Amino acid sequence: MASPIPLRGRLRRYGTSYAMLLPFLALFAGFLLWPLANSLYLSFTKFDGVNPAVFNGVDNFVQLASDTRFRHALGNTALYVVGSVVLGTLLSLGLALAFNGSSWPHRIMRTLFFLPSVTSSIALMLMWKWVLYPSDVGLANTIVDWLGGQAVAWLATPGLTIPILVLMSVWGGMGYGMVLYVAGLGSIPEEYYEAAKIDGASAWRQFRHITLPLLRPVTTYVVVTGLIGAFQVFEAVYIVFSQGANTIGGVLDSGLMIVPYLYDQGFTHFRLGYASAIAWVLFLIIFVLSLVNLRVGRAMKEL
Amino acid sequence: MAVLSAACATSGQTQTQQADQNTNAPVTLSFWSTGGDDETATFQKAADLYKQKHPNVTVKVQTLSWSDAYAKLLAAATSRSGPDIISGGMTWTIQFGVKGAMVDLRKHGLDSLKAQALPAQWESAISPDGSVFGVPLDMSTLALYYRTDLLEQAKVEPPKTWEELTAAIGKLKAAGIKKPYSQDWGNLDWIGYFNYLYQAGGSFYTADCKPSLNTPQAEQALKYWVDLYREHGAPTATVEGADALDTGTAMVVAGNWIAKGIDINKPKLKDKWAMTTIPAGPAGPTTFIGGRAIGVTSFSKYVQTSTDFVKFMYSDEAITAIADEARKRNISYIPPRPDKIVNGSVFAPEQAQVFETAIKAGKAAPGCPGWDESAPDVTKQLQSAILGKADVKTALTEAAKVMERNAG
Repeated sequence: MASPIPLRGRLRRYGTSYAMLLPFLALFAGFLLWPLANSLYLSFTKFDGVNPAVFNGVDNFVQLASDTRFRHALGNTALYVVGSVVLGTLLSLGLALAFNGSSWPHRIMRTLFFLPSVTSSIALMLMWKWVLYPSDVGLANTIVDWLGGQAVAWLATPGLTIPILVLMSVWGGMGYGMVLYVAGLGSIPEEYYEAAKIDGASAWRQFRHITLPLLRPVTTYVVVTGLIGAFQVFEAVYIVFSQGANTIGGVLDSGLMIVPYLYDQGFTHFRLGYASAIAWVLFLIIFVLSLVNLRVGRAMKEL
Repeated sequence: MAVLSAACATSGQTQTQQADQNTNAPVTLSFWSTGGDDETATFQKAADLYKQKHPNVTVKVQTLSWSDAYAKLLAAATSRSGPDIISGGMTWTIQFGVKGAMVDLRKHGLDSLKAQALPAQWESAISPDGSVFGVPLDMSTLALYYRTDLLEQAKVEPPKTWEELTAAIGKLKAAGIKKPYSQDWGNLDWIGYFNYLYQAGGSFYTADCKPSLNTPQAEQALKYWVDLYREHGAPTATVEGADALDTGTAMVVAGNWIAKGIDINKPKLKDKWAMTTIPAGPAGPTTFIGGRAIGVTSFSKYVQTSTDFVKFMYSDEAITAIADEARKRNISYIPPRPDKIVNGSVFAPEQAQVFETAIKAGKAAPGCPGWDESAPDVTKQLQSAILGKADVKTALTEAAKVMERNAG
């Protein structure tokens, strides 16, 4: 236990620093901790946003367990997460290996692939909406038409929804992953490869036994941030696949994901307690998956 | 008194007494209008006119885009601060109203506007217990837009009935027209089905709000609608009405709001398109009517003045001012008063006639408890039938079950 004197001493020594941290701490507490605590509390209440919240214990969570739309959203999200994280990571690595040099063509290619990551996601989604627009006006169907095919109802064919969402996510995110991998590749000492070459290791063996293991921290980072981002997908569903008067999630809910469902419950049906419960379930899923991922990463390092 | 009414406002109770109009102190009312900036400008014209008559009252109209209006209004209602007047989707004011965020306008005599409004739309604007949390601000409806050149080429008259519609699609196809028919508004959605359901003599709910999708009429309507997609090749993907016409669709069911923009946005279509009412079913021509509702928030400090402004929006002069500005800006405004649809319309006379006919035979969204929660699931069942995942009867039975459950 700290005695009063060192505390006073510490305050004298660091007092100014703590004082300078106060504005940040106030913002952190006001805009993060307080809303978080509030949302946890609301997840145990029935709250319509206007009338006072009524405590209802774990009712929201019990209801979630039997909510078919929520389960459907969970299933869709799982498919989407696996698709976009696996493909996104592989393509990021592939791009990094292809364009990790310092020549101009490589730099230009890296810039081109990175551009979507710094563009407003709303603008990107509006662009995709135009690409997939069902009539001949849409780019995708114009190309299909040039190739002599029949126009495709891209946004009204349930089987195409998840593949399109994965494509949009991979296209938009692989440039970011690529930049991280390029940095990772740059940090691998050249001597390892030289030593391997002297030992007669093939390019594949060098990749398999030097590059991949040493990129593990980057891979873990790319996968974990990819997972978090993919679980929270919203704009793509909300902007590209919103269909009809008051439905979210596309035709037959084929694109219904957890966050759009949360939005739907909270902000179109005024079920803010229920929406908070969804948010916390989502938090727990991401938390557990991230832990598993980090643990797997560490276990593999120890091998 | 002013202090008292402000206190009432913040405690969330509806006021019956307000002092704000008795004083001549300057008052600024904030009106959050859901829609585009051009629409805001039209309502601002009415607000400016109101100021001419009440120099101490300034009404500031601000745009809320359709995509985030609901969430912003919810945030305002939750924090009990924000606009004095709101407008938005037809049933929004009811939803905010039953939660105590809107003033029951009956207490301020605004139920008198009922005499001027369209009965079917008014019915949809009032909440199930009779409270008037909002009144219609404008109207929207559907029409059948068609390409005169393509119909002529196939020697087809614009269809007036269901039978004529399917016959016309057949003839258009035979004449080599690849896209005979599509639906812009309500495609794969309950609003699209609404027309067929009512035209077959069915309804979503009975007069006393009992779900009523388990009927032969509902089945007949869905069978016909599904056949339009599955047998007659109507596209499941929604193409905006003007784009559809422009890219060679012969007939498209679309909202009134595209009417003013077609000639401007698609100049190639000039003199090649016309419109008529959507084809009637065995029980008549009932067409969906939507629109915006306008109401006064319970947290407004100036309930009386705000209410008076809402009432003013029904006056001849306000409607004329809005219509004049709408005409300038090519906005397809239809006033909430049926007697004004043709008289002083922003449309060409023959177009206004089409809208008037549609509206006079129209019905609005069901105002029954549980409908808003049920609508997405009903839509999903309709989609199951259209996409061949369920037969018509099963889809309707499942939809009816959801409505029963949510009716409470």
